[in-house]
Amino acid sequence: MNVISLIIDERKVEIEEGSTVLDAAHKAGIQTPTLCYHKALKPYGSCRVCLVEIGRKDSSTLQASCTYPAQEGLIVRTSTERVIHARTIALELLLARCPDSEEVQRVAAECGVPDTRFTKKDEDCILCGRCVRMCEERMGRAAIGFVGRGSKKEVATPFGSPSDVCQVCGACDFICPTGRIDLSRVSTRKPRPILSEYNERLTSRPAIFIPSPQAVPNLALIDREHCARLLGRPCEVCKEFCEAGAIRFDQQEKKQALDVGAIILAPGVDRFDGAGRSEYGFARYSNVVSNIQFERMLSASGPNEGEVLRPSDARHPSSIAFIQCVGSRDAVTGNKYCSSFCCMAAIKEAILAREHHPDTCVTIFCMDVRAFGKGFDRFYERAKQEYGIEFVQGMISRVVELPRTKNLRLSSVPEEGERLDREFDMVVLSMGFQPDEDLRRTAEKLKLDLNEFGFCQTTPLDPVRTSRDGVFVAGVFQEPKDIPETVVQGSGAAACALELLSGARGTLVTEKIYPPERDVTDATPRIGVFVCHCGTNIASVVNVNRVVEVAEKLPFVEHAEASIYTCADGSQEHIKEIVEEKDLNRILVASCTPRTHLALFRETAREVGINPFLVEMANIREQCSWVHSAEPEAATRKAIDLMRMAVARTTRLTPALPEELPVTKAALVLGGGPSGMTAALSLAAQGFQVHLVEKENELGGGLRDLRYTLEGDDVASFRERLTRAVTDHPAIELHLGSRLTGIEGHAGDFSSSVVSRDGNSIEIKHGVLIVATGGKKLKPDQYLYGEDARVLTQRELEARIAAGEHVAQNGDAVVMIQCVGSRDEERPYCSRVCCAQAVKNALKIKERSPDAAVIVLYRDIRTYGFHEIAYQKAREAGVLFFRYDPEAPPVVSAGKDLMVEFDDPITGRRRLLRTDLLVLSAGIVPGEDNTEISDLAKLPLDEDGFFLEAHLKLRPVDFASEGIFLCGLAHSPKFLKENISQALAAAGRAATILSKDSLVVGGEIAWVDSTKCVSCLTCTRVCPYGAPTISFSDPHRRIEIDLAKCMGCGSCAAECPALAIQLHNFLDSQISAAIMAMMGAK
Amino acid sequence: MHHTSEFEPQILAFCCHYCAYAAADLAGTFRAQYPTNVRIIRVPCSGKVDPMHIMQAFEHGADGVLVAGCLEGGCHFLEGNLRAKRRVSLLRQILDEIGIKSDRLRMVNLSSAMGQTFANTVTEFTEQIRELGPSPITNNIPRGKLR
Amino acid sequence: MIVATRKNVRELKQLLAPYQRIAVLGCGTCVTVCLAGGEREAGMMASALRMASRLDGVEKDIRDLTIERQCDDAFIDEAWKSLDEADAILSLACGAGVQALAHRFPGKPVFPGVDTQFIGILEEQGIWAEKCIACGHCRIGSYGAICPVTRCAKHILNGPCGGSHDGKCEVNPDTDCAWQLIYDRLKAIGEEYRMEEIAPLADWSLSNEGGCRKIIREDQRI
Repeated sequence: MNVISLIIDERKVEIEEGSTVLDAAHKAGIQTPTLCYHKALKPYGSCRVCLVEIGRKDSSTLQASCTYPAQEGLIVRTSTERVIHARTIALELLLARCPDSEEVQRVAAECGVPDTRFTKKDEDCILCGRCVRMCEERMGRAAIGFVGRGSKKEVATPFGSPSDVCQVCGACDFICPTGRIDLSRVSTRKPRPILSEYNERLTSRPAIFIPSPQAVPNLALIDREHCARLLGRPCEVCKEFCEAGAIRFDQQEKKQALDVGAIILAPGVDRFDGAGRSEYGFARYSNVVSNIQFERMLSASGPNEGEVLRPSDARHPSSIAFIQCVGSRDAVTGNKYCSSFCCMAAIKEAILAREHHPDTCVTIFCMDVRAFGKGFDRFYERAKQEYGIEFVQGMISRVVELPRTKNLRLSSVPEEGERLDREFDMVVLSMGFQPDEDLRRTAEKLKLDLNEFGFCQTTPLDPVRTSRDGVFVAGVFQEPKDIPETVVQGSGAAACALELLSGARGTLVTEKIYPPERDVTDATPRIGVFVCHCGTNIASVVNVNRVVEVAEKLPFVEHAEASIYTCADGSQEHIKEIVEEKDLNRILVASCTPRTHLALFRETAREVGINPFLVEMANIREQCSWVHSAEPEAATRKAIDLMRMAVARTTRLTPALPEELPVTKAALVLGGGPSGMTAALSLAAQGFQVHLVEKENELGGGLRDLRYTLEGDDVASFRERLTRAVTDHPAIELHLGSRLTGIEGHAGDFSSSVVSRDGNSIEIKHGVLIVATGGKKLKPDQYLYGEDARVLTQRELEARIAAGEHVAQNGDAVVMIQCVGSRDEERPYCSRVCCAQAVKNALKIKERSPDAAVIVLYRDIRTYGFHEIAYQKAREAGVLFFRYDPEAPPVVSAGKDLMVEFDDPITGRRRLLRTDLLVLSAGIVPGEDNTEISDLAKLPLDEDGFFLEAHLKLRPVDFASEGIFLCGLAHSPKFLKENISQALAAAGRAATILSKDSLVVGGEIAWVDSTKCVSCLTCTRVCPYGAPTISFSDPHRRIEIDLAKCMGCGSCAAECPALAIQLHNFLDSQISAAIMAMMGAK
Repeated sequence: MHHTSEFEPQILAFCCHYCAYAAADLAGTFRAQYPTNVRIIRVPCSGKVDPMHIMQAFEHGADGVLVAGCLEGGCHFLEGNLRAKRRVSLLRQILDEIGIKSDRLRMVNLSSAMGQTFANTVTEFTEQIRELGPSPITNNIPRGKLR
Repeated sequence: MIVATRKNVRELKQLLAPYQRIAVLGCGTCVTVCLAGGEREAGMMASALRMASRLDGVEKDIRDLTIERQCDDAFIDEAWKSLDEADAILSLACGAGVQALAHRFPGKPVFPGVDTQFIGILEEQGIWAEKCIACGHCRIGSYGAICPVTRCAKHILNGPCGGSHDGKCEVNPDTDCAWQLIYDRLKAIGEEYRMEEIAPLADWSLSNEGGCRKIIREDQRI
């Protein structure tokens, strides 16, 4: 296309032929006010606000720039007296016509027209015709048009009657500058907003959208079902605004064939949709929301920026009720399982609601509070004691909306007998998981077995393996679970896949070759500054040219330029050319956030021989243009400051030369129980050498006490199989009767000493350590245990049942007491397994002697997940469950008969039971060696004495120290199947290190100036990773930092009293220079 | 919405890479608007924020300094934010002793999802500094005499 | 090690009011290790004093430097020139260091920049505890190397007193009873018999407020 040039306000502008004068003015950065103009619509020239003066002085005319074609040699002036005068009149007339329109007021104020001298009317339409043009040009409908002439002109439907072509798309309303469109006057149909999935349908969203603010990749997508263009209308409005030209309507679904050796399924599971529990009024009453909707309401990125407001009237609710188990543990819907996560989610949400508004009263209605996870019971106690959250046992049978207040009345017949009738401002339904049809179809395609509820069928001893070889499962699809267990299974499934793929590992990797790096040791900094327009994202607010002009004049800046998209492929090539041409040795890109783009520019730098640490970014988009869009001048000043600060830093950047540390491809697994053996076997199957250290003289650990699982698996034969497999595996070296006595080194290169019982010490080199030292069963000191032979623990009972003993005859009574030594002051945690264990043994007794009485005294029954089914079965089989109050625990006395006395909360009476057997559900306590191992390997323990992982939810098997992993009861009490998952997970995580030949370390890490270090040891105490240590090989005993252990947080550098520690890439001199650049910018 | 006073405070914010800086980015993604007075310096962890640098900023005329780290319990580096908190509280005491109002230094905790909170915090802090007026140091900074 | 604590900026500003050129001198030994007077603290204090003076409308030339050890002329002389140029010296060393400087610069005012507290050790990050009051007659050999003079609130040489309860001191129940510690330690080394030895009467006219002194710095704790 031809390019023509014209003069606007004395500036020469080049533009493609066919453009308008307004386009040319915009291109020149001249802000001409507009009202009827819209980028996506044909120019109309009705408002006269964009007037310009065209031509030379004597023969000039006033023209609307939006319609006037740009021509070669045209002379345009945008702010002459004549223009201003005419524009003022035009705006005053508009102000008089629509005095209340905010848009007209805004444009008028921008043009310095504060008020009108004409008589004000109360119209709301400025007749700009945007709606008419939108409907016709873009929506292809022409449902509305102009009717009447002169003062009678207005926008209306034909004959003023409802349009039958109108699609109620709302485009006219969207584009109207004065907000006067009343869709009900256009069509009889109601507009339906597209509800936002991200905000759980609490807000609406456009048809082209980014699914969530933190989506990966952070790209927009088109909703096929709602996009006007894809529904056959012309639209394409979005295309006008996307300067990158990224919008494509012709994209089709692509089918791809992938050759894979294993499949991991982690599809998640849908949530219960409220159907089948209509008595709670979900989707019917506006103030009844789901737990996930409430979660969005609490979120800072949610619909009201974290404010909890009632949907009906946007008021803070003063009372909130949570109803638990909606669509879980529920025979009505058929979802008999427990969804496992809802109790804790409700407690968390309740606490957050109280934190947001301390005046809000929160009540949780539930059957049991299932706080079974690590640290959960403490959280539950805090919710009650610190936050005053009320827990009411009993299910709500009905929710009724009160018509005037929209409050909700909850009623039920609770456990205690009295009828409950309470009113709340808002109700949150804790909806659980429910597999949907899609999942069933996927499973069918993959030929997988599902269980009766539509979850993936697995077995307790093989928890991530599906019914089909090579297909593994992780997460909620396997069984309802909370975040840590889901993450654990993800890593566990990866380990199983890696076992299959060990032969193919690394075969698809291609190595990239980089040119040698320029040596900058003594070189003067030569900085190239690349300032990005980011289309209009930056340039529409920040004057990019001014940023470049200032950059050019800064010391050491050898080159500065602006580009439209610095991240585009072509721009990378261009940067490389400029680096070569100007012999640059440092690059500064002023554009978006380094969090997303620094890696890209570092890569570009490496490709042209610049060390990646000599690249810096100034964030002038996310932290400038986007957040200051109404203040272009101040934003430009800020962008210049940010750039100057970055240049000051860039000048002082130093290269980092990463070091490669070889990896010893062997693992040391501590503990020969089910977890240790499973982890060892998986690592061995993945092709790594394993040293398995067990302090006992035989393998098995806690497995020796288990006879059968709740699901009926034979644990003894499992132990035998596992032990044989471990013993026979050539890659596993067993060290029985041995203990760890010392460990040194870091991820990839540990050296441990292991001493056998006869005192022989050996040195083992290994790349990773897995701690699987197990836990211990508690020996009760209550309820006459050890004093009366009729009192025994669940484990002892299990052993007797397994040995074929007839523990209870028909007519006998067996009483079980739960939470013995758990959830008390000494051990304020739940041992997790005891409820299911009691149910398991109760069922066994009932199986043999249906007429034996089995009575379980409990606090909360915590049979989460599918264990719930067994609990229901036990109830059906006639096992009796009575809740007891921990403040008044059962009293046991022994004479001729063994008697148990307790308060029955339902009748309120004290009950006295004669029993033949008293079974204590004794908890699990931390292993006795935990403290010793913790000291030895510098691994943290939690308040209860179990090992503490790096992150309770997100890194459940990692220690904070690299290369050391955790699984099994050493981590916390849990079931065998969970221990197996976790052991596989530890093996999977360990493989991320063992599968590498070397670990690349260095970069953003700390280093010590030994001439300044005074060996005060402050850094060794401050560092959470044990990276700084005193060097005893150094005659001066200075501090050294272990490259492989340093995570680069810089805490040591900020504390060092002798200023001897620096963090690379965040040197004191660099930060200081940035501060000076900022402060000097006054 | 221009404030009547002429005074535009200069505010320095140290933001930790994993949370506060990410929150500031998210504020951008949301197009949340806040005053232009803040300049952010990215640090890996709020535990890296050196008291010397905060002093340096005040000595050279900063009107306010924000130290923004992860939520307590959510620090990417385990407890750097707790170190920063203790340090900031000592520095506030020293600032008071010097005669600079300790309100000019503030520690905040943000998760990476709290973009709007970041914008609100900056807006509110800027307003507070605006009300406190220019740093008393500014009146008498010798030109070209930088340490 | 000698343990010292930071002084209030206001107090130092007043002390230094008459002087224009001031050298803030850090010391690289004990006071660096106890986080009171090393290079970082010297830099912070110099900056704080510059700002504080400026707020009084006085522009002062205050510079910081840190030497290896202030209690020795050899190291002081390394910084001789900068120190000599100053009108006054603010020493962040212990009392000994301050006096060594005063001796080396007979004609120059020297001020203490920290409060020297005691001889002690770091118990955990941020907590320093006194272990020795430098009484001049060390008898801890009889007490399993635990000093009752420093650590017993009553300085009892023939203990314990009747106020030892559950291993804690009656004067301050947060403090371990020194005599319990002495007993445990003597037992551990097989010298319990020493408990029965009677130490001769000593004349204590001074007491040091309820057991060992302790410094807790919240900002340094982990």
